[in-house]
Amino acid sequence: MSRPAVSAARRRRIAGENVLAYLFLLPAFVILLVFHFLPGFAAVYMSLFRWDVVQGTFRGLENYQTVLVGSRAQEFWQSLSTTLTYTVITVPLELAISLILAYLLFQKMRGRGIYRTLYYLPYITATVAAAVVFTWLMNPNYGFFNTVLEAIGIGPQKWLDEPRGLFELVFGAFGVALPAWAAGPSLALVAVAIFTVWHFIGFQVVIFLAGLGNISTEYYEAARLDGATERQLFTKITLPLLSPTTFFLATVATIGALKAFNQVYVLTNGGPLDTTRVLGYEIFHVFFQQGRIDLGATMAVILTLIILLFTLFQFRIGERRVHYS
Amino acid sequence: MRLKLAMIAAVMVVASACSGTSNTPAQSTQADIDLTGPVAITLWHTQTGVNAKALQDSVDKFNQTNGKGITLTLQYQGSYTQLYQKTLSAIQAGALPELAVGYESFVSDYQKADVCLNLDPYVQSAKNGLSKASQDDIYKGYFDTNRFPQFGNQLLSFPFTKSHLITYQNDDILKEIGKPTPKTWDEFEATARAAVKKGPDGKPIRYGWSAVTSASIFNGWVLSRGGKLMADDNKTVAWDGKEAVEAVKLFDKLLKDGVAYVPKGFDYQTDFGSGRVLFVPESSSGRPFYKLSFKQPINWSITSIPQTDPAKPRTVQYGANIIVFKSTPEKQLASWLFVKWFTEKDQTADWAIKSGYMAVRKSAAETDILKASWGKDDPQGKQAFELIGTSIPEPNARGQQDIRTVIEDLLTAVAAGKVTDIDKAVKDAGAKANQILKDNQ
Amino acid sequence: MTPSALARPPAFPRVRGRTVFKHMALAAVAVVISFPFYWMITTALKSFFEATQFPPTLFPQEVHLENFATAWGDAPWTRYFTNTVIIAVLVTVGEFVTSILAAYAFARMTFKGKNLIFIIFLATLMIPSEAELIPNFVLVTRYLRIANTLQVQVIPFLASVFSIFLLRQHFLSIPSELSDAARIDGAGHVRFLRSVVLPLSVPVLVTVGLITSLQVYDSFLWPLLVTSSDAVRPIQIGMSQFRSEFGAQYHLEMAAATFVIAPIVILFLFAQRYIIQGVARTGIRG
Repeated sequence: MSRPAVSAARRRRIAGENVLAYLFLLPAFVILLVFHFLPGFAAVYMSLFRWDVVQGTFRGLENYQTVLVGSRAQEFWQSLSTTLTYTVITVPLELAISLILAYLLFQKMRGRGIYRTLYYLPYITATVAAAVVFTWLMNPNYGFFNTVLEAIGIGPQKWLDEPRGLFELVFGAFGVALPAWAAGPSLALVAVAIFTVWHFIGFQVVIFLAGLGNISTEYYEAARLDGATERQLFTKITLPLLSPTTFFLATVATIGALKAFNQVYVLTNGGPLDTTRVLGYEIFHVFFQQGRIDLGATMAVILTLIILLFTLFQFRIGERRVHYS
Repeated sequence: MRLKLAMIAAVMVVASACSGTSNTPAQSTQADIDLTGPVAITLWHTQTGVNAKALQDSVDKFNQTNGKGITLTLQYQGSYTQLYQKTLSAIQAGALPELAVGYESFVSDYQKADVCLNLDPYVQSAKNGLSKASQDDIYKGYFDTNRFPQFGNQLLSFPFTKSHLITYQNDDILKEIGKPTPKTWDEFEATARAAVKKGPDGKPIRYGWSAVTSASIFNGWVLSRGGKLMADDNKTVAWDGKEAVEAVKLFDKLLKDGVAYVPKGFDYQTDFGSGRVLFVPESSSGRPFYKLSFKQPINWSITSIPQTDPAKPRTVQYGANIIVFKSTPEKQLASWLFVKWFTEKDQTADWAIKSGYMAVRKSAAETDILKASWGKDDPQGKQAFELIGTSIPEPNARGQQDIRTVIEDLLTAVAAGKVTDIDKAVKDAGAKANQILKDNQ
Repeated sequence: MTPSALARPPAFPRVRGRTVFKHMALAAVAVVISFPFYWMITTALKSFFEATQFPPTLFPQEVHLENFATAWGDAPWTRYFTNTVIIAVLVTVGEFVTSILAAYAFARMTFKGKNLIFIIFLATLMIPSEAELIPNFVLVTRYLRIANTLQVQVIPFLASVFSIFLLRQHFLSIPSELSDAARIDGAGHVRFLRSVVLPLSVPVLVTVGLITSLQVYDSFLWPLLVTSSDAVRPIQIGMSQFRSEFGAQYHLEMAAATFVIAPIVILFLFAQRYIIQGVARTGIRG
């Protein structure tokens, strides 16, 4: 089969465009290569050796064995489970609250801009400073949170220092002792989640508002003519037509939750009783507190694979389920 | 692709070059050299606020007066944890400073890379070292804690910010309840109970004991009951015996009875200052911060923690040391000369007054400045100083940092009411600690 | 998502009679969300004793403005603020260059391996940053020899996949008639980019610049690791000094938090139109 004839000039132009495009990409590519990809490869490399503060002998995949089924398995799976719990708390909560707020905000009303600004402020607030403020709010002795609890007749809580489970505490208040498996996430983890929800909600609201703006008003007008109720409008039109936005936000929030580190670093340092030691923090801890470069790198590689798999999986589902208008 | 490979190769080179500087020439000669020409050295530290300023003043003085062309630069590196994390990275990159502050457990980790300088030759050097009398002037415990059995008993660091576990005691409350300072743990329990005051709603408004849950305090509980922290061969822990069980049971009982509570962060200082608690067993170095939290002046003193045998009081030694990293002979000597100068009588007294840490030399007590300070602002500093001899170093084997976490987890679990069988919990914690020691051999 | 969707107040769905209820709900949430800021500022104004009083006072009984001066004196804040501004400006300018070029290539040029390269760019977002710390530290310290400088806080951030993505979306929306016309006039890519695309992109560039600056302002762990002296340290390091090993001076912590947070809040209030639009367009989550 012969190719369609292409003029020499056109071929030159295509070649020229190729070269120019690569030149355009080069600066960004070099930076990403040096500061993101190389460290990624270095992590893989480090995970193949014994590397306890200093590099030792080549160990092949032994570190992976240690982490997944060996002496570090319990702590690894524990932190993975904490990560998933944290994800399951924060993502739906963020999405639900922000969807409701966006829906309420999405109409002609006075003060709309002010609300949006106020909701958005936490998102731009520097994490360390915000964490200092939350640590103070949640102080067990002098904190404002406990003042509120006191006012509504609940005893003071230790918040970020409380390793006991949420359900354990709630049922415990009524004198019901729960078995260990039903204790629920520690109050400390819930407190970190509260901070996260507070921090990110404004971002989600803004994206939902944009998504709502993309739904044509004609759908609603037609449905109204057919006598649809408000509830029907929301469930039959808004939710399905908003699904690409919801899907996008769910993906971003989930990846963010799986990689969570900053919140834990500034609020709890993984404690109390390791109940907030998510995988991102565990990696940091193994790297920097234990000097086990090998095991930290191994866990980092595994976490990257988990995020990769999750992303592929979510896009698969996304392709099938999400309603693109 | 080739670029990528080159980069990976570069990373590998970095990796293999990380095994530390392996210069171990005869150090007896290195310690005796002369310094010619200017030497610039850097110290990584963690001091903030008033202490940072005091340290800077001291260093300025050293730079002006050392007469050997040594210029020391101070660099603040965040908290101890952050400094430790950074030093581990610096070992990977081969970019250590000449000096850094750190705990004994840090040294054990750093020494995996063989980067810490053995200070013995410097101490013993006829030319630049310390005389026998001068060595004896420094508390023995302060030397002991910086010797590492794991590394041939070398002196790998030097005392810097030392303190020890003592009890802060509110004398006004003691007078009110008509009791003397408790000497034994039994008396401590009874006195703490007597101090409890409840509000109209039945909630305690005054506690007997602010029980900070740190591993060091736990070690103090064990030591004061006559227990040991490590087995003689340094291969297993010894704190998991009957002393610990007794201590944890007391902790548990007094928490449950509302006599004790576990404070958050440094809140125990505020609680003490506002008369909300009678006893706070904590580090002696916190004195300046307690004083900040006094709304009205109160009568208070520093006493020994309770003992099983008050005739032979024992408590736990706290605090960081200063580490000299291997570099060039000139920089090493310059670093040592600073360490030596800083721990001399006058300087250590000055530092003790300004920072609240202990002076490391017995002779510091004779200095006019320390006498004046004790006489006027800081009588409690004297009370603490007199207890230095009772303080015993904590273990410094590698893995000690993780063992501390094991201990603190045990106490947190007890405080959260998650432990039903304390004997078993202590045994389990000990087994966990022994496993950590084994993993770190 | 078009920016106009945000700018134009939507006319639906209008629920009559429930407006009051909605205002109450929205206002309640707004109070809850902004409360930490209120608490921060009021604690910053209290004396140490009032701050540690339980139950706490909702309004400061005495106003202690000197707390701000005390907190300001506890760290070299002027230096930190200056450094942060310098770093933010350098990162923003540099990122403009790399992102505009890369985004233009992805949006308006055809070349071999375009999709693959784009995916590779996006893939960098999945690597957990904790894993990158040690290799990057070794790289900048041992090989690039730029540890403890301002550059080391600039160079690694000179390319941002987020900014590239945001600009690409915008460049894609420029009508193809314009590029066709330019080509007929004999203008190449460079000239088209300079004289047509950039002038049309000023708002979105402002967005990119602001978001980048906010991220620089927030950076903490990397500067902590790679800087050793105050001469080159940024603002968040100063904030972390207040969480030191001793003492619980909550009123001073809050005073420091207040002046650390204030500049970005002010910046945001002036420029929120750009920030919110940019975020809405791409979903940048920092």
